[in-house]
Amino acid sequence: MKKRVILFFALLLSLVTGMTAITSTTAHAATDNSLTKVEKKGTLVMGTSPDYPPYEFQATVHGKSQVVGMDVAVGKKIAKDLGVKLVVKSMSFDSLLVALQTGKVDMVISGMNPTPARKKSVDFSHTYYQGGYSIVINKNDKGIYKDKDSFVGKTIGAQTGSTMYNESKKQTSGTKVKGMTSVSDLILALQSHKIQGVAMEKPSAQAYVANNKELAAIPSNFDLSASDTSASVAFAKGSTALVNKANKSVDQIKQQNLVNKTYLPEAGKYLKTNTVNTSMWHYWKAFLTGIKYTLIITVCSVFFGFILGVILALARMGDGGVLRTGLRWLATAYVEFIRGTPMMVQVMFVYFGLGLIVNLPALTSGIIAISLNSGAYVAEYIRGGINSVDSGQTEAARSLGMSGGATMRYVVLPQALKNIWPSLGNEFITLIKDSSIVSIIGVSELIFQSNIVRSDTYRGVAPIAVIMVLYFILTFTASRILNYFERRMQHD
Amino acid sequence: MTKPIIEVKNLAKSFGKNDVLKDITEQVNPGQVIVVIGPSGGGKSTFLRCLNLLETPTSGEVDFDGQNLTTLDTKKVNELREEMGMVFQGFNLFPNMTVLENIKLAPMKVKHLDDAAATKLAHELLSQVNLDDHADAFPSSLSGGQAQRVAIARALAMNPKVMLFDEPTSALDPEMVGEVLSVMQELANQGMTMVVVTHEMGFAKSVADKVWFMADGYIQENNTPEEFFSNPQTDRAKDFLSKILM
Ligand SMILES: Nc1ncnc2c1ncn2[C@@H]1O[C@H](COP(=O)(O)OP(=O)(O)OP(=O)(O)O)[C@@H](O)[C@H]1O
Ligand SMILES: [Mg+2]
Repeated sequence: MKKRVILFFALLLSLVTGMTAITSTTAHAATDNSLTKVEKKGTLVMGTSPDYPPYEFQATVHGKSQVVGMDVAVGKKIAKDLGVKLVVKSMSFDSLLVALQTGKVDMVISGMNPTPARKKSVDFSHTYYQGGYSIVINKNDKGIYKDKDSFVGKTIGAQTGSTMYNESKKQTSGTKVKGMTSVSDLILALQSHKIQGVAMEKPSAQAYVANNKELAAIPSNFDLSASDTSASVAFAKGSTALVNKANKSVDQIKQQNLVNKTYLPEAGKYLKTNTVNTSMWHYWKAFLTGIKYTLIITVCSVFFGFILGVILALARMGDGGVLRTGLRWLATAYVEFIRGTPMMVQVMFVYFGLGLIVNLPALTSGIIAISLNSGAYVAEYIRGGINSVDSGQTEAARSLGMSGGATMRYVVLPQALKNIWPSLGNEFITLIKDSSIVSIIGVSELIFQSNIVRSDTYRGVAPIAVIMVLYFILTFTASRILNYFERRMQHD
Repeated sequence: MTKPIIEVKNLAKSFGKNDVLKDITEQVNPGQVIVVIGPSGGGKSTFLRCLNLLETPTSGEVDFDGQNLTTLDTKKVNELREEMGMVFQGFNLFPNMTVLENIKLAPMKVKHLDDAAATKLAHELLSQVNLDDHADAFPSSLSGGQAQRVAIARALAMNPKVMLFDEPTSALDPEMVGEVLSVMQELANQGMTMVVVTHEMGFAKSVADKVWFMADGYIQENNTPEEFFSNPQTDRAKDFLSKILM
């Protein structure tokens, strides 16, 4: 699963770089409008993966969950110096660079190291922070592990796509390296002894240790170049004007030692307030938001998916004439293609791929992608339903002078729908569960919210248990309601 | 001499290599009742379905009211189908609608009658087939005889000039055949033009103006019922009659 995602991202990234290369060689050779664009919109959109305290993490501020941390402070400073407003967009670390290249965000600040590989696809500012790596272990193991070389035959975890992940692979031998998207998952894996250590940046390690008495940090002793331990702001390739401007802010931050003097202590404060109340009740609002978005996505997707499904089913059953045959061919190809590719890939493609043409918000992208997906499945149910209606029904309607369209609409479809109601109901319930996939593009549905609560509270299992129950309540209620309507339709 | 309402000229229909109708030229005059009889698989249903273009003829033409249906566009064909009611062996009532809704659907959706007018019409027709007390029943609760009478009322609701019947009583229990036939007889008495495929020889004898004997893709005989039953011309017809009149 993870591997497939990475593979896909690599593919998407090369695709996107290819496309932007084609479209932008002419554009940015002439002018670099990166700076004027930001100034014109009045906002600077920062992409970040908020599960990496103290760099960036979710905290409840005045009862509202928001992204805080030293990176956010850096972003604020850059925005302020530009005279624009900072907007923070959360997404998984994997998605950040794609988001940058597809224009979803103007810059990425996420404890990102300016490695040579990354420099090929994006531009970096000067370094705003020079860190180092630690390995977080269970406190009980403190005697056993000293540094990266003590994990022979054991497993070290690191955030997928991060520098630590690559270095852990390169610089250890006989040690397995496990990649996960979020650091909170890694900590959970550590505490449940699936892995023995988590490699992460020193400040993050300190934050985790400070907030969890079960954990301890040891030096990593990785052999690292400066670029591997420093954090920089990433910008889209060719946005020199914006980078230069940001460098002025970054230089000031370095000069005045703002990170150590102001940003880190501030972030620490949030970390403290965060651990006070970790009861799940305290986060009912976050879960409620999750339920709200899960339902919005599901209901909208079922609605649009159904409409699309009817259209596709009718197109697939068309016959005669070049146009109808062409449409049938297209609809068939569409259905086969959608059913033959993972929904996760489709979600990412709509968000990032279509994002090259129109800038769609994550929620809209998610609804579009899931509707497109669901439509293909619904089309097949409907086609089956239509075929299950006796041909005598059509003949009777046509013999009464009804047109083909009217026959379909008033006679065949109502009966077809009745026949396939249970399948459609199943599709709805499946979508309640599958809509969780849009969490990868940062839509605040249940899974995404539970991840926030997890990184917020440092509690790994409780939020998962909560959403499990919530999902069950949703699907169970939905299936009861659907059964009720099914029974009501049985009278004839 | 009156102008025929249906004229069939050199009609042929094949399904792949199966030539079901080979060469049929006949006509139906207004007010006539034609009974089509013949052995199973002889193409009677196919013939009837070619008359209202539920089946597209392979060659030849079907003229209705002076218009050649085979050359008309879909919209025009739809309009002319309103004028030809059809009743099927299997009733084909819409199971998800009440009796009343079954009858109201086409007048409302095709003729754009308003609900009140359609309801009034439906009740009148139901009274005509003695089923007004079943207006709100669903088809699944009706007996076969009742269902077929509703189907007749539904076809009549479009005020057709011709009624086509494809073995309307073959799917019924024997005790229900009578109630359907008497509705059809009533209709014939009112002067309705009818083409009826049936195995009910009694009905053919007493109601038909003409009997068409159909076998092997041709109308083999076209005669008055008296002539046909007492004096069949072809061996095919003699053989058929000897079998069913046993
Ligand atoms: N849609 C179709 N596709 C292919 N063959 C068909 C189709 N409809 C009818 N046939 C064939 O045409 C022939 C005549 O069928 P038709 O139903 O017209 O006969 P029939 O005289 O009505 O017989 P019955 O008394 O059994 O109703 C049969 O051999 C049948 O298999
Ligand atoms: Mg037949």
